[in-house]
Amino acid sequence: MATLSLKDIRKSFAGIEVIHGVDLSVKDGELVVFVGPSGCGKSTLLRLIAGLDRPTSGTIELDGRDVTGVNAADRGLAMVFQSYALYPHMTVRQNLSFGLENTRMPKAEIARRVDEAGRMLEIGELMNRRPTQLSGGQRQRVAIGRAIVREPSAFLLDEPLSNLDAELRVTMRAELAQLHERLATTMIYVTHDQVEAMTLADRIVVLRGGRIEQVDTPLGLYNQPANLFVAGFIGAPNMNLFPATARDGQAELPGGLRIDTGPGAARDGKVTIGIRPQHMHLAEAGEQTLEGRVELVERLGAETVVHAVTAEGTTFVTVLAGQPEVAMGDTLHVTPDRGQVHVFDADGQRVARD
Amino acid sequence: MSNMTIRQFVGQRRGHGGRWHWTDIATWIWLIGGTILMFGPALWLVMSSFKSPAQLAEFPPTLLPYAQETVMVEGYDDPLPLYTARLEDGTTAELAEIRRIGTNSQMVDPADPGTRIDVNIADRTPIRSIGFATGNYVEPLVANDFPRFLWNSVFVTVMATLITLLTNSMAAFALSKYRFRGRDAVMLLIVATLMVPLSVILVPLYSVVNFTGLLNSLWGVILPTVATPTGVFLLRQYMLTIPDELLEAARMDHASEWQIYWRIVLPLAAPALAVLAIFSVVWRWNDFLWPLIVLSRRELYTLQVGLNSYAGELNVQWHYILAMTVVTMIPVVLVFVFLQRFITTGIAGAGIK
Amino acid sequence: MVTAPLTLLARIVDPPLRLWQRWTGLNGMAAFFLLPNMAIFGVFVLIPLALNFVYSTTAGTNILLRDRSYVGAEQYARLLDCANYLEPLTCREDQFWTAASNTLVFVIFQVSLMIAVSLITALILNREIRGRSFFRAVFFFPVLLSPVVVGLIWKWILQRQGLLNLMMVNLGLEPEVWLNDRFYSFVATIGVSTWAHMGFYTLILLAGLQAIPKDLYEAAEMDATPPTRVFRRITLPLLGPNLAVVLVLALIRGVQIFDEVFVLTGGGPGTSTLYLTQYIYEVGFASLLRNPGLAAAASIVMGAVLVVLTLAQLSLSRRSERAGER
Repeated sequence: MATLSLKDIRKSFAGIEVIHGVDLSVKDGELVVFVGPSGCGKSTLLRLIAGLDRPTSGTIELDGRDVTGVNAADRGLAMVFQSYALYPHMTVRQNLSFGLENTRMPKAEIARRVDEAGRMLEIGELMNRRPTQLSGGQRQRVAIGRAIVREPSAFLLDEPLSNLDAELRVTMRAELAQLHERLATTMIYVTHDQVEAMTLADRIVVLRGGRIEQVDTPLGLYNQPANLFVAGFIGAPNMNLFPATARDGQAELPGGLRIDTGPGAARDGKVTIGIRPQHMHLAEAGEQTLEGRVELVERLGAETVVHAVTAEGTTFVTVLAGQPEVAMGDTLHVTPDRGQVHVFDADGQRVARD
Repeated sequence: MSNMTIRQFVGQRRGHGGRWHWTDIATWIWLIGGTILMFGPALWLVMSSFKSPAQLAEFPPTLLPYAQETVMVEGYDDPLPLYTARLEDGTTAELAEIRRIGTNSQMVDPADPGTRIDVNIADRTPIRSIGFATGNYVEPLVANDFPRFLWNSVFVTVMATLITLLTNSMAAFALSKYRFRGRDAVMLLIVATLMVPLSVILVPLYSVVNFTGLLNSLWGVILPTVATPTGVFLLRQYMLTIPDELLEAARMDHASEWQIYWRIVLPLAAPALAVLAIFSVVWRWNDFLWPLIVLSRRELYTLQVGLNSYAGELNVQWHYILAMTVVTMIPVVLVFVFLQRFITTGIAGAGIK
Repeated sequence: MVTAPLTLLARIVDPPLRLWQRWTGLNGMAAFFLLPNMAIFGVFVLIPLALNFVYSTTAGTNILLRDRSYVGAEQYARLLDCANYLEPLTCREDQFWTAASNTLVFVIFQVSLMIAVSLITALILNREIRGRSFFRAVFFFPVLLSPVVVGLIWKWILQRQGLLNLMMVNLGLEPEVWLNDRFYSFVATIGVSTWAHMGFYTLILLAGLQAIPKDLYEAAEMDATPPTRVFRRITLPLLGPNLAVVLVLALIRGVQIFDEVFVLTGGGPGTSTLYLTQYIYEVGFASLLRNPGLAAAASIVMGAVLVVLTLAQLSLSRRSERAGER
């Protein structure tokens, strides 16, 4: 059980700064997901928390104790690696008990914990096998088991599902969620997959270029992205972004649709209007519409994904419920759900309209 | 058609089915001739080592060791050597020799111990059958020197190999798994001295060993050889292939760096350690020049130095030397028989010796 | 088991090391792991390497440095003092020049023979023949033998009642006392050292041959390339790096030849098989008029030759690598 706080963490490799001052606090028992494109610094940040690397400046506190200078071995954390990093020369049982032996725990207690983890993860049968004799999913479980037996104050998981095939990934994702429910231990989870982030996280930290873009709950991020980057990164298909010019708190979209940009920063000048593909419907008579020529129609059964291009050349995507009759080359008239339209100012920051 | 087969000879891996070509004949002549040339001398040595001194002095020598047959004759305490003798009446008989006086041999018929027969030594030939003069082996083994040499060699080989494995693997671990200032400099130093042979630093090394008080001590033979750059280099190259994530996982598992070295890296580097161990055993067992210089007291001689000293004696006792040479060869032959594949792939991979 | 005391030892040293680690961090541990090897290495390789230069500038028969007098470059001057460099006997240190010229001739013939024999053997072992791994082992066997054993084996064969004379007699030829003859004993040192080491070089060349992609030969065959041309234009260039390694290793070890020759001929008869390392050994340690300073100077001269050869290897293998890329 642990709270974690990062204060102005910076990290340079060979003189090049890759983490530019990160502040973050994680509550006890929380599952926080670091998400971002590759190279955003999410894995580096995790390694700093683990103690495998040292920050160039800033402090890391665990339960209020400064651990910045403490070795990884002495921080009491457990980590699940992307490659699993199972010791190839040890059996599953030895892999699980290695960490406990290092703390000079009595043999009986080690056996109890290992057996319990084996039961919990359904790897009891595999105890005497070596990692090379296991399937990918089994290795994944052993890697998690090795973290669990330690009963750490927090778990660190570095893209733990990325080496699994798609089907197994969904199963393991659900199991991880259950595991967190059961253990109620702080977890920090790194992934580049926003679906994993959305489904697992209590809170998501969106990183880009070594900076935190936004920290919020999954739905908070979805409903109120702080800037264009988060807006584009979270949600699938990506949010549609329309460049526009605001005048007197009003911006006009192609097709004549007018959007309120509010009284604030975006009253006049360049703005970007964001509308999620799911937040549009086919226009009914009399409604203001967004207009485009249909370029591609993907019929998925329950919904239909339509790609269209406006007269100005901006492409947009809309997800329509059911199986409406839309064909390539048609002119599409859609109307956004008024309450779900996002407005960003010239710097790409969200504009509050209320 | 002949073009193709010549090409196969000069470069290709595959032989060919069907008729024999001259290159096939040349190949097999080379291989069989080579086999005789490579094994023959050692076999000849082994054969010779079972010959008695008298037989060793014979010319032309026989291929196999023979021993003269003897017989117990009533009235004589020791067994007497058997000969085929040509008698004056022109017949031949198997007789036992009692003693030799000048060119005359006093002989006796084992079936009739009472009668003595005089035969000219030119008229008798020894009756021999294949037999092994095992005394060549037994006598030096119970004498003082040889067991001492053997023990010294075993001690040097085992200690040097253990220390080599430990120190080289520790250094290789540091050089492959830590990023610290000066690492490249240390690596460069090691690679640069890969090519510094012992013969270039004989004099100053002797003075260092003298200064440290290790002269005339087996440790003076062991220590200068154990920090082999070759071993560090070989192990480092292997350890670089061990993923760093394993070490990090161990660190997260509350393992100290020593435990990581001992319980993760060493077991995973076992194949490279085995190769180095084999090399080290062969090197240290075979070392000659350095022990020759450091050890001047006879009771400290290793086998190689001891053998050389026997061969340099005024009255060379070849029958003992040959037997001891065979004993010296035994560990290396064992390595050859059981671990040859290991070594040959190791050399092919790393180009070291 | 055997490992039990080792495990115990490892467990005992762990707690203090853990403290050390906490105190110094990972870099401190790197220093700890490096220390034993580098200490031994420093004392027994680096310090002697440096001391060699000191010794080469001093005179006297005593090995202790404080009992030796500084004489500057006198030892080098003595080594190089010759009336006619082509005639070793006109030199002040005629033994050195004899040893040097013997070594030069030895290296030229031995290395050529070595490369020829091991290349042919490697080419043959590269064919798909029955029992290939057996024959590969056969040629490797003498490599493992100790030089002393090699020397004794051949001394025994070449002696008056030896196997070679038995064959001479069986062929109706006159037996010889081979090692009493200046020429024959010189040839014997070349033959014996080649016999003892060719297996090693064969392995390196064989590894090179097996790394050449087979489709190159198949492509050449499709182009109807004549076999000698295939050998010259495909096999040799692609074997280049390995040949360079073999050439330089053989040179380096040829220059240092000692053990087996010392046992086989003892440098004789006369000085016909006296090579450089034996000269250094005798001047430095064995002879009555020993002169460690002169031996150190001679070994530095030999070391310089070895450095040149090593550098030659580096540039050679680099060039052939580049040629391989092209």
